[in-house]
Amino acid sequence: MKPETLLRRPQTNRKLTTGCKILDGCLRGGIPCYSLTEIVAESGCGKTQLCLQLSLCAQLPISLGGLNGSSLYLHSEFPFPFRRLHQLSRSFHQSNPSIYANDNDNPCDHVFVQNVHSVDHLFDIMPRIDGFIKNSGNRLPLKLIVLDSVAALFRSEFDNTPSDLKKRSSMFFKLSGKLKQLANKFGLAVVITNQVTDLVETSDGLSGLRIGNLRFLCSSGRRVVPALGLAWSNCVNSRFFISRSDETIWKERSENDESGSSYVSRRAQRRFDIVFSPYLPVTSCEFMITREGICGVQA
Amino acid sequence: MEAWRLALSSSIRGKLISAGYTSLSSISSVSSSDLARDANITEDEAFEILKLANQSSGSNSCNGNRSLINGAKNAWDMLHEEESLPRITTSCSDLDNILGGGISCRDVTEIGGVPGIGKTQIGIQLSVNVQIPREFGGLGGKAIYIDTEGSFMVERALQIAEACVEDMEEYTGYMHKHFKANQVQMKPKDILENIFYFRVCSYTEQIALVNHLDKFISENKDVKVVIVDSITFHFRQDFDDLVQRTRVLSEMALKFMKLAKKFSLAVVLLNQVTTKYTEGSFQLALALGDSWSHSCTNRVILYWNGDERYAYIDKSPSLPSASASYTVTSRGLRNSSSSSKRVKMM
Repeated sequence: MKPETLLRRPQTNRKLTTGCKILDGCLRGGIPCYSLTEIVAESGCGKTQLCLQLSLCAQLPISLGGLNGSSLYLHSEFPFPFRRLHQLSRSFHQSNPSIYANDNDNPCDHVFVQNVHSVDHLFDIMPRIDGFIKNSGNRLPLKLIVLDSVAALFRSEFDNTPSDLKKRSSMFFKLSGKLKQLANKFGLAVVITNQVTDLVETSDGLSGLRIGNLRFLCSSGRRVVPALGLAWSNCVNSRFFISRSDETIWKERSENDESGSSYVSRRAQRRFDIVFSPYLPVTSCEFMITREGICGVQA
Repeated sequence: MEAWRLALSSSIRGKLISAGYTSLSSISSVSSSDLARDANITEDEAFEILKLANQSSGSNSCNGNRSLINGAKNAWDMLHEEESLPRITTSCSDLDNILGGGISCRDVTEIGGVPGIGKTQIGIQLSVNVQIPREFGGLGGKAIYIDTEGSFMVERALQIAEACVEDMEEYTGYMHKHFKANQVQMKPKDILENIFYFRVCSYTEQIALVNHLDKFISENKDVKVVIVDSITFHFRQDFDDLVQRTRVLSEMALKFMKLAKKFSLAVVLLNQVTTKYTEGSFQLALALGDSWSHSCTNRVILYWNGDERYAYIDKSPSLPSASASYTVTSRGLRNSSSSSKRVKMM
């Protein structure tokens, strides 16, 4: 058994850019490789958007912050947003002309989508993923795995009895252990999304337990906690929280109208927070979701 | 061997024999105060007799009647040894104070807390601080870091190492104002080189590595701290038979204790928390169960109190229960109330 030489590893873990400079600034480069990152958000906050954007950014060359690899998108929630992926991929193609030699190159060629309907199904797929990575042939090697979402895999199958909860806990660690093993062996970045549940304060529960930098997590004006509880929180390396707050009204100028008339649009304010991470300080930033994808808002 | 062979004055010898101490084995198994009382001599004389007896019995071949166990030390010697043992600073003086100066060598210390409280940060800080040279009050040793979760980031370790070197340089500048500044020899790169990093991906790998550590440390005698981050991750899955898990865990704990005692190094085990239903409500408890809680010498629990991080001594044979607050900064672990950047060196 030999120890790893820390100096032979690059001094910073390779990071996958999120496609937005402001978000990358918060994350000191992007999502790290060799580690499991969790994105927690209410539905409709933008976690799937961020994951789609990451799957496309993985193809970028390393000089542009990508991983020069393909991505595997495991989705457990229906339906998979194919149309949105195509829309994003078109604008991705346009904004990166240097990489795609001809117009027939489709960034979607490097995004592999697989549906998982239960935890056992996911464990059955694992050996195939291993084989998929090893025998990459002449396509880009797999560098990113996205699991969207882990909560949907677990929430329906287990009852609330102590023995089922114990079995569920043990599944968390088994799943996390396997994904971390893959991440470590092949240098992958693994992104997992999670849902939230409302917090109901009870006198005998630990639902108000504080995990991480934020005293409490708030989204859409109510207190929430990440789903799957304390056991799952121990399984991930970093946790990020996306929240949305009340809509604000923006006055915008109409593009082709010079006369100065403007119209109002409602935009939800979205916020990206770092809950815990082994190397990042507490930061947060705001962002919007546009047709081109996620873009940060300068504070 | 007979007592009359000892080099004592005849009066004392006479008192000894009349009190019934005719053989060396009977003398060596008794304490000096009992001997003084029985033989009607002063304690100093009794002490002298015992010293002589031990010396003589040491040079003779083994007497089958000896009731003294080979290798037993008296508590006085042990106290002197313990006080002279160096401790590893955590870079946070409040935390060092409740720990009695820092993490003690020769002990197994368990540190547990919720995710995000700073366990990995403490682990990295200790693996850097153990390398502080002796001129600065440190141990000048190397570290073994066993990573089971993948939370160790080289860039973070480099950040903490750079801050440590800067603090040492500032300290020499401060202490040797009138002399030529003693250049700090260590560079952050050297600090990273002295951390032996192992990544384990399953519990079998973990057990194999722990078994191998004895040989590894014998070949690298300057390792002074072994950090395991975290000890629980691989044990919370796949163990249907909890009895087997307890057995495996206690064997591992025993190996760590032996390593700590044999090589005089500190073992730091980082643990996760889980919820336990006690006294009608759910409480936080360290993972791996009640039987594991006996496996470590000291136990520190990290928790949130308002907006501050606190550490609490939950179990220790010599330290009083106390808590102290700390923060995690870009330079590593520091005091929370102190605004000064200067780190207190021992």
